Amino acid sequence: MKQEPLVRLLGVTKKISSKVLVDDVTLDILPGQIFGFLGPNGAGKTTTIRMMVGLMSITKGDITVGGYSIRNHYEQAAAQIGAIVENPEMYKFLSGYNNLKHFARMMQGITKERIDEVVELVGLGNRIHEKVQTYSLGMRQRLGVAQALLHRPKLLILDEPTNGLDPQGIRELRDYLRRLTQEEGTTVFVSSHLLSEMELMCDTVGIIRHGKLIDIRKLRTAEGERMFEETAFTVSDADAAEGLLQDFQTRAQEHRIIVRGDRNMIADINAVLVGAGIQVYAIQPVTRSLEDQFLEMTGGGSAVE
Amino acid sequence: MSNFTRLVANENMKIYYRVRTWVMLSILVLFNVAMPAMLYFTNAPMDVWTVFTWTESFTIYLSAIFSVIIAADLVAGEFAGGTIKLLLIRPWSRGKILMSKFTSLVLFNLLCAGITAVVGIAISMLLFSGNTGFSSGFEGSSMNNSLLLLLTDTIQVFVISLIAFMLSTVFRSGGLAIGLSLLVLFTKDIFGFIFNPERFQWAQYLLFLHTDLSGYIQSPIGPGGVGIGFSVSVLAAYCLVFMLISWLVFTKRDVAA
Repeated sequence: MKQEPLVRLLGVTKKISSKVLVDDVTLDILPGQIFGFLGPNGAGKTTTIRMMVGLMSITKGDITVGGYSIRNHYEQAAAQIGAIVENPEMYKFLSGYNNLKHFARMMQGITKERIDEVVELVGLGNRIHEKVQTYSLGMRQRLGVAQALLHRPKLLILDEPTNGLDPQGIRELRDYLRRLTQEEGTTVFVSSHLLSEMELMCDTVGIIRHGKLIDIRKLRTAEGERMFEETAFTVSDADAAEGLLQDFQTRAQEHRIIVRGDRNMIADINAVLVGAGIQVYAIQPVTRSLEDQFLEMTGGGSAVE
Repeated sequence: MSNFTRLVANENMKIYYRVRTWVMLSILVLFNVAMPAMLYFTNAPMDVWTVFTWTESFTIYLSAIFSVIIAADLVAGEFAGGTIKLLLIRPWSRGKILMSKFTSLVLFNLLCAGITAVVGIAISMLLFSGNTGFSSGFEGSSMNNSLLLLLTDTIQVFVISLIAFMLSTVFRSGGLAIGLSLLVLFTKDIFGFIFNPERFQWAQYLLFLHTDLSGYIQSPIGPGGVGIGFSVSVLAAYCLVFMLISWLVFTKRDVAA
């Protein structure tokens, strides 16, 4: 089934004076997915997010949300987005409730009931009527999520959402995002530099380094099985084999084809190869973890280069 | 699209839900009461409108300072608190958001003028109506004159707070906006003296000479021999330029960390 992507980044580039912060990023995100944007600090994650929500201008390229261009139809595109960019900074001198009222007024058709519903959802309870300056960081995060969800956005963008959350908070957020995608069909775009979190949370991750999108990989199959384990097929003709396996995520390495996928996929691939008359000498699991792969791709650790 | 007034309601909420604003407004009320009261205890033979003129001449500075503080905070405050990020990702163009902030500023200017008019005149009347000329105040031009003075002073407060608003947008720093715009208020006479339009022809286009229109209440000839139409045009042109600069900076510039 071919789905129309909800978000498209088309050759998005951001230059400030001569420094290229984001370089020609092209990316489609399907509806109902949790998409993780992964990269070391300073790789261009936040810059990309700021362009997606219209806080920064796009030097070259375009971003569309639900078919509306951020550049040309900003108001229509923005109406479909809910976001927290970096920390959820709210008006400290207003109560949590008035903060929500403030943002509700800026969007179409949000009733009082909807505000109460969202407050219920993020579990702020009675403290919603206290001033935000009395809130803990966790409560501010919750309020941030509440304001982002008010208008039932099709796309929820969260920049480093787990920063400052305790393990329980992270767990809750994860479960909550999963429910949101399943029940309301919301698409979620999260950025993080923490791989372990992304593994647990996301369906797909895009890896960015030095402003360039260097890889997109599925972490889960449709059944929800994790699929980042890699398997190496040693074959007689690697080029031909790679040609045959266009539907899978593969890369060639001398006489080996490295494939990412679960057990069923390995059997399928083997059948395809054998069926095409390519000799398979060995099928071996590659023991590198996703973390190793990530570190290799991003050039080691989270150091700013 | 939803109603623009809801944006203005938001801006007003952010102004009037702060204790600071109510402290400022209370001080304004207090001095509009205190000035006539102090004059009352001097036992000077003054009529209602003279008292109000004196009162207004003092409290207008309070209005100016408070308006400047509000104006400087409107944009810079959002940047300082980081809330600008949540404000600008809504389905509203930046121009409209800036316009709503500007509208709430004008409303605050009007509120200050309203407080001065209502409280100042009421207390002046209460204390001085039995005095020399309550009725003569209504017959003569003194009532007109003092109301016109309030009008021209309010215009001046508006121009100064618009400067603060622009600086707040350009520099994203409230302190700088407050400082520089009040500097304009207090030093404009010095500039008017140095760049005397009688000596320099071009000086008649300077903003400093025209912010205070109250001279025209007494005489139709203003600084350098220009008329009120000229002064108002120069003022309007400057205001448009200030608004244009704010708009360009606010709509074009990236919001980075």
